[in-house]
Amino acid sequence: MSYIKGTIEEIRKAMDEKKVTSEELVNESLKLAHTYEKEYNAFVTICDDAKEENNVKDNPLKGIPCAIKDNISTKGVLTTASSNILKNYIPFYDATVVTKLKEAGAISIGKTTLDELAMGGTGTAAHTGIVKNPWDKNRLIGGSSAGSAAAVSLGIVPFALGSDTGDSIRKPAAYGGIVGYKPTYGLISRYGLFPFACSLDHIGCFTRSVKDVAYVLDCLKGKDEKDMTSLDTKTNFINELTNDVKGKKVFYIKEMLDRNNYKDDYDEELEEILNNFDEAMKKCKELGMEVEEVSFDIKLLEAIFPTYFTISCAEATSNNSNLTGIIFGPRGEGKTVEEIMFDARTKGFSELIKRRFVLGSYILQKENQEKLFLNAGRIRRLIVNKMNELFKKYDAMILPAQGAVAPTFRSEDIDKLSNRYLLLENHMAIGNFGGFPSITIPCGFVNKMPIGLSITGAVKKDIDVLNIAYAIEEKYPYKGQIAKEVK
Amino acid sequence: MITKEKLKDYAHKLMFDMNDEEYDTLLKEFDVMLKQMDLIGNIKDISCVEPMTFPFELDSVELRNDEESRNIEIEEVLSNAGSKKGREVRVPKVVE
Repeated sequence: MSYIKGTIEEIRKAMDEKKVTSEELVNESLKLAHTYEKEYNAFVTICDDAKEENNVKDNPLKGIPCAIKDNISTKGVLTTASSNILKNYIPFYDATVVTKLKEAGAISIGKTTLDELAMGGTGTAAHTGIVKNPWDKNRLIGGSSAGSAAAVSLGIVPFALGSDTGDSIRKPAAYGGIVGYKPTYGLISRYGLFPFACSLDHIGCFTRSVKDVAYVLDCLKGKDEKDMTSLDTKTNFINELTNDVKGKKVFYIKEMLDRNNYKDDYDEELEEILNNFDEAMKKCKELGMEVEEVSFDIKLLEAIFPTYFTISCAEATSNNSNLTGIIFGPRGEGKTVEEIMFDARTKGFSELIKRRFVLGSYILQKENQEKLFLNAGRIRRLIVNKMNELFKKYDAMILPAQGAVAPTFRSEDIDKLSNRYLLLENHMAIGNFGGFPSITIPCGFVNKMPIGLSITGAVKKDIDVLNIAYAIEEKYPYKGQIAKEVK
Repeated sequence: MITKEKLKDYAHKLMFDMNDEEYDTLLKEFDVMLKQMDLIGNIKDISCVEPMTFPFELDSVELRNDEESRNIEIEEVLSNAGSKKGREVRVPKVVE
């Protein structure tokens, strides 16, 4: 019997009943990681010497294997952010989340592949190659937390850490048929996370059940003196988790679901995604929730993606200015310090990252600041204000997590100016704009590929989001599913 | 009007370069990206809105006492440097 493929809850039970040891779980996890590595490329580094820390007090994560995205600092373990400019970087400190996992006795079996420096949504831009979708190797898993999503979806580990700046946990979770969660901004410390866009960055997790998110969150949550943006909470998420959501009020955005808004690129796949959502709303009503349709200015919705792109690319240009190859990273060649830095950055960044940086540079040019950078900040505020107003009346917003199933590697035909792309495919950045807690859970299959439901709530109301997700999850047969095992 | 020369200038300001082919790809990509950026301009009369730079107001920021709480060993800081000498990172002479 293989226990590693269970949920955290199931593995914990098996360990407590002495049916399996931590050592056996780690060995099984490492074996799976190696078995799948060539095919899927989920890991930058597999830690073959992984073992439990000494003197760990009993707690739910003790002895359980996990994986960590490779843009999160791990002392003494290579941490590359999947970039050539950090290909030999070994941190001398642990991120706070890593310290907390170690203190809880969770065991990291490896560092997972990402889109270089977390700037991408495809899982195709790592210095070690592309990450493939465990449901179909011809398709991408999404990013940027691609390897973490693949590792959980493949059943290598029951949970993995990721980071989420636009939808970098939630989208790959939806593409991979698993649960992806990012908390309220600051509820999980970001000390030790390589910053992409500080005002939007979050650390969160991938699991195969909603309850498992609560276990991980209880371990990672809370104020950290090393991260001034971190928050305290008195909530014990496992204890407060309940499937009684009767009377909860949720809404969806009318313009997102209006089929008339997708006339130009409507197809059977989109029809199935929207039908699936209608079914999900029926299930919410069966659970006793009130479901309402809310109208949102479509111009604001169309501006979500460009607003996200503008803010994130601009912030990224300054956040990555420390990547010079002088204090760390491969040294460039040149006669002066400037030449050395120029050469290190030219050789160290991939073309895709450079393109994003150039856009960031363009946005920050004096003549564009008002028109682009500041206006993006203004639109961000208008969207967040509207959401906060809605959250006074509603407990959560529910929407499809995507407008299409995971694309194939050859998909060049996505119209990046279409409503389907701008609205349905890229709305989850709303959660980052306002720091709202947000989760995606699997809710069905279209073209044999998994699709997800996105649930977002008010700041510091993470427990409401988890409870609604927990209740909805029970209405579907997808809890704990592993890509390789679903026929 | 975006030109290859302008893109080169933006890249050089961030201290890196690209090859000709990459600039050509970027020029094409800019066309789509600028159309997406136009969607920002579709929202009128927002000049009085304060740009948002943070998700929400923090209510728990406290000033800490100016006390040393942790420090980093120099050997650790230098452990990833490509070139070093003693307790310092080695770089070419800045002042000739």
